Amino acid sequence: MTNSTQHDGSAESSALSQSSTANDEHKLPFNIAALVFVRERGIIVLWLMLLAFFTVWDWPYFASVPNGLLILQAASLTAVFALGVAIGVISGALDLSVPGTAALASVIAGSLIVAGTPVWIALCVALMVGAAVGLVNGLITQTGLNPLVVTIGTLSIMTGVASVISGGYNISGLRVLKFMGTARYLGIPSHVFIVAFVYLVATFFMTQTRHGVRLIAVGGNPEAVRRVGINANAYKLLGFVLSGVLAALAGLMQTALVTEASPQASPGIIFQALTAVALAGVSLAGGRGSLPKVLVGAIVLATISDGLTVKGVPPYWATVATGVLMIGALMLDKILTITISERLVSIGNMSVHGGSKGKAAK
Amino acid sequence: MSNSYALRLTGIDKHYGYVQALEDVDFHVRHGEVVSLLGDNGAGKSTLLKVMSGAHRASSGTIAVDGKPVNFQSPHDASKVGIQMVYQDLALVEALDIATNLQLGEESLRGFPWNLFGVLDRKKMQRDSIAQLDRLGVRTAPPTRPVEMLSGGQRQVVAIARAAVRVLETHGSGVILMDEPTAALGYEQTQMVQELIRRMADEGIAIVLVTHNLPLCFEVSDRIVVMNRGRKLADVKVADTDRDSVVGWITGAKEARIDE
Repeated sequence: MTNSTQHDGSAESSALSQSSTANDEHKLPFNIAALVFVRERGIIVLWLMLLAFFTVWDWPYFASVPNGLLILQAASLTAVFALGVAIGVISGALDLSVPGTAALASVIAGSLIVAGTPVWIALCVALMVGAAVGLVNGLITQTGLNPLVVTIGTLSIMTGVASVISGGYNISGLRVLKFMGTARYLGIPSHVFIVAFVYLVATFFMTQTRHGVRLIAVGGNPEAVRRVGINANAYKLLGFVLSGVLAALAGLMQTALVTEASPQASPGIIFQALTAVALAGVSLAGGRGSLPKVLVGAIVLATISDGLTVKGVPPYWATVATGVLMIGALMLDKILTITISERLVSIGNMSVHGGSKGKAAK
Repeated sequence: MSNSYALRLTGIDKHYGYVQALEDVDFHVRHGEVVSLLGDNGAGKSTLLKVMSGAHRASSGTIAVDGKPVNFQSPHDASKVGIQMVYQDLALVEALDIATNLQLGEESLRGFPWNLFGVLDRKKMQRDSIAQLDRLGVRTAPPTRPVEMLSGGQRQVVAIARAAVRVLETHGSGVILMDEPTAALGYEQTQMVQELIRRMADEGIAIVLVTHNLPLCFEVSDRIVVMNRGRKLADVKVADTDRDSVVGWITGAKEARIDE
């Protein structure tokens, strides 16, 4: 242990060590820094390995620009759903109502467009519906009910309401939405632009703004946030609202892609999104997680599925591979976390230097 | 040392239903003074601390901060007049770095137009953190290190430093209440916390310490207050007493002695 306290009288040495060791003493040893790097960036390393593997295995069909764009296109929907789920989880609530929100928002936008409403108004209304759903989820949760159960309930309610609105049928012929569906700009699918935009904004928000940081804090330790005088409940609501808006956006993207709004929620998407979130190392306990890694998580899923399809392997092997990968990623994260914390305990690098005037009363 | 009381409680009663947790308790602490609050489990020391922190309201009695009467509805009210509690569970956000934890709720923002979007000035937050910790004589990991990568003692120091920073920045001095600050710490880390407590007292902060750790109490306190069954049984200068007497008061075997 090097965290010895410097007592009165060692002021000289403490001033000396302050200048010379302030930098080197507090740097993490190389082996710990390496472990931290693997834990923080492991998903990216994994993705690069997958790319290398498929490039060789599927040569020459996998490694091409058109195939790369296909992968990104395929990852887009999962990526936006996963972003909503991740923000919810980081702020401390697993929102399972996401597919229902997506279905409701699409059906509402679809009916409005069919009824002759300008497209941009229909889209704005749909996004606001997403926000409203998040608000309702959040408010119900704040009565003390478990978010998991509450959002399963609202999932069911919204699927029902979506069917009621559309009369149970798909609303088809939404070709005006093609600009955010199959359209390509500069040869790049429109979805890729949307994903890039929302991830840039969301990442900036979470890491660089006061509200983002408080959102993370509320997921990690709501009591700590409350004690410093911040309205913790407001930030929990914000988490639900953002999750709702992103779910609505994902619903609209899906609708635009097939030019058809379906009232059927597809619960499978929530598991796809959760897989991406878990691969990214976002803790389901809340309070930690990096959004760019969630994007990589979604792309990893699409890469596996694409790589196997290109080779002609039946697609259900992709789901097997995904499951194995996810459990593997979680175990690796656990092992690394334990190893890092054990190594850290063995290096104490903090001190309170002396200079105390001694007890005034004596 | 100034003679004005940083925090003074007079005639405090606290009932929980039929149970009387505190009975006519007087308590005070001056700026720059460290007072240890001792007592067996259920003696009322934690209740008294909670009354000071605003977490509990006294059934009767008055509280004055720097001579001015106050009426706390919540811990937030208490923190507004410069009283900060350091909780046993520390209340730090593990995944966030030291600088963010120190400044949570009072984050620095970048200039116009960034401030409209609440964009943080991370550089300033880090500089401020280093300056604040320096003032308390704390040298720790870099301010960008997440709290989850700190040891128990380091976390305790960060939690205490945060309370100190809050009262110093907003009130010049203030009162810090601590509940068992060394309960989970080893010997060396306890020494570190002890040093920090003295540093804070030197900065003029009034410190109230609830603890079971008698060596720490004798090492760091100016005055010792012993509670027994909801009453104050002893209030003596550390210099005027010894360990046997304190144990006597804690167990209730020794006669009351109120020096102040």
